[in-house]
Amino acid sequence: MPTDLDTLAREQLSQVLRDHPDPVALDPDEDLVQTYGITSLNKVLFLTSLCKAAEVGLDKFTEDDLARMRTLGDVVDALRPHAPLKG
Amino acid sequence: MTESIINRIIAARPDHDGAITVTGLGHRTTMPLAEFHDRAKAVACALRRRGIGAGDRIGILSANRLEWVLLDLAALMIKAQTAGFEPGKFSPDSDLIERYELDVLYTDAPLSDDAPSRAMPISTIAGDAEEATAALDPVEWGATECTTVKFTSGSTGAPKGLEATVGSIDSSLHAVQSLFDHRPGDDILTFLPLSLLQQRYWLYSALYWGHDITITTYQSVFAVMPTVRPTVVMGVPAFFDTAKRHLESSLADGVEPAKAAAELFGDRIRYLWTGSAPADPTTLRFYNEAGLPIYEGYGLNETCITTKNHPGAHREGSVGRPLPGKEIVIDDEGVVCVRSDHPVNTAYTYAAPGDSERMFKPGGVVRTGDLGRLDEDGFLYILGRADDVIVLDNAKKIIVRPVETRFRDTGAVAECVLYCPSPAGLVAVVSPHPGPVDTTAIAQALATVNAASEPDERICRVIVADEPFTVDNGLLTSQFKPIRKRIADRYRDRIDDPKAGIHAH
Repeated sequence: MPTDLDTLAREQLSQVLRDHPDPVALDPDEDLVQTYGITSLNKVLFLTSLCKAAEVGLDKFTEDDLARMRTLGDVVDALRPHAPLKG
Repeated sequence: MTESIINRIIAARPDHDGAITVTGLGHRTTMPLAEFHDRAKAVACALRRRGIGAGDRIGILSANRLEWVLLDLAALMIKAQTAGFEPGKFSPDSDLIERYELDVLYTDAPLSDDAPSRAMPISTIAGDAEEATAALDPVEWGATECTTVKFTSGSTGAPKGLEATVGSIDSSLHAVQSLFDHRPGDDILTFLPLSLLQQRYWLYSALYWGHDITITTYQSVFAVMPTVRPTVVMGVPAFFDTAKRHLESSLADGVEPAKAAAELFGDRIRYLWTGSAPADPTTLRFYNEAGLPIYEGYGLNETCITTKNHPGAHREGSVGRPLPGKEIVIDDEGVVCVRSDHPVNTAYTYAAPGDSERMFKPGGVVRTGDLGRLDEDGFLYILGRADDVIVLDNAKKIIVRPVETRFRDTGAVAECVLYCPSPAGLVAVVSPHPGPVDTTAIAQALATVNAASEPDERICRVIVADEPFTVDNGLLTSQFKPIRKRIADRYRDRIDDPKAGIHAH
């Protein structure tokens, strides 16, 4: 079980991407749609899985929040205030 | 014909316990359908006060929300027609209002100070729903009258408008009910745009047969399913493919199939519905083996639901048998033709010259353009699509041929073939003219084509082939048509690489 949010987010993103790339190789500043080809459906799957793994309530976020999460870094920043995990 | 569902649901307040839920990330509203009916009546009264009534047309350009369906039912109550526009595909401007002859347009898009006076925020409907109701003059829809205009991809790039008859809606709903027996205790989940008439069918079904309905958006669907606990999910292949990949990850982590399915879909699934594009047979098998029955069907906007596999008649590889009121004939060229007792319509209302004649034939027959065969028991198998259609994960359909032709007609390339590797947009593989490649001219052509295309048809990148497509190198048929699959196979790495190619600006 990873102990930091960033690592957890990378692992969960890798899970939803078609080729399951190495989580370490994922760039937190790259656009999730343009670079990683993540669909709207995959994006919410990613957030759902990450919230579950990080023990963050999904009800903390709205569709507008989701739309603002353009990069992996944005997602981590959005979860951090609500996460018991450090990182 | 049996009782008109449309006329019954507008005249009678539901006396059952069915409920409607509208939900998404961070919000959920649930109310009894009887209360929903009262609110829709209040909206109908407000529309009447604004001078909207029988024969008028109400445009709705909005994401899925409670006000959308309140407006839809209210319009039925006053015999006004709706025109549902897909967000992102249309703009709430004067052109839209004039082109589609709208008396009023309700939208969730921000309205500027110079917005047309007939455009109104859809949020105002929430206030209308709270107001007192007055008696409404009773209305009745005839079977050949049209409640709504639906829009379907057009060969010219502009969507074709098709008005749907009450008879076709009633007939389809009765037919589906005879196959699936939706009943109290069922909760049908719909997340595709409500501008697609078929998504509103499930509201009408809920009002009539007393089951629950949940409306969400495709952005939220995976987030809400486990807590909504639907019994039926109305989806499309791309949705089920995405869910399958997620479930496979869970199974790889050692989670039991039933537990993984329940975590994603909730624990009450009775069956899954798929249509609108051909489903991958391995996906269908995966769900059936995981204990989630999935039923594929077939139909076009012009025919409505035509065939459907269902618990009583299901044959792998087929799209099912014709629904009651539908008949399939395979013509001499192998094309699927559909005859309906109650046709959706006999012509488009808005289309390029010749479009209606190509699709609609005498006697309530639609020539689909799809190739198919019937087996000895009447199950239909679709063998190919006459038009190359890309269906996005939100069920948007893009007919690629007109866009490819537009690119080729710029003169900058010899051929163009489009793919959709990711939601970032379409990717073109172009065959250069023999000789030195003029990337500047191709980039200019890309800009020209995008400027002339609909938003969904935008090409984000162009891959220039290493050599022109030829019959000899296996990329053209003997009739010199590009062979889509071989071209994709040869340039797969570059099609999938978001950094490859000439990018649109």
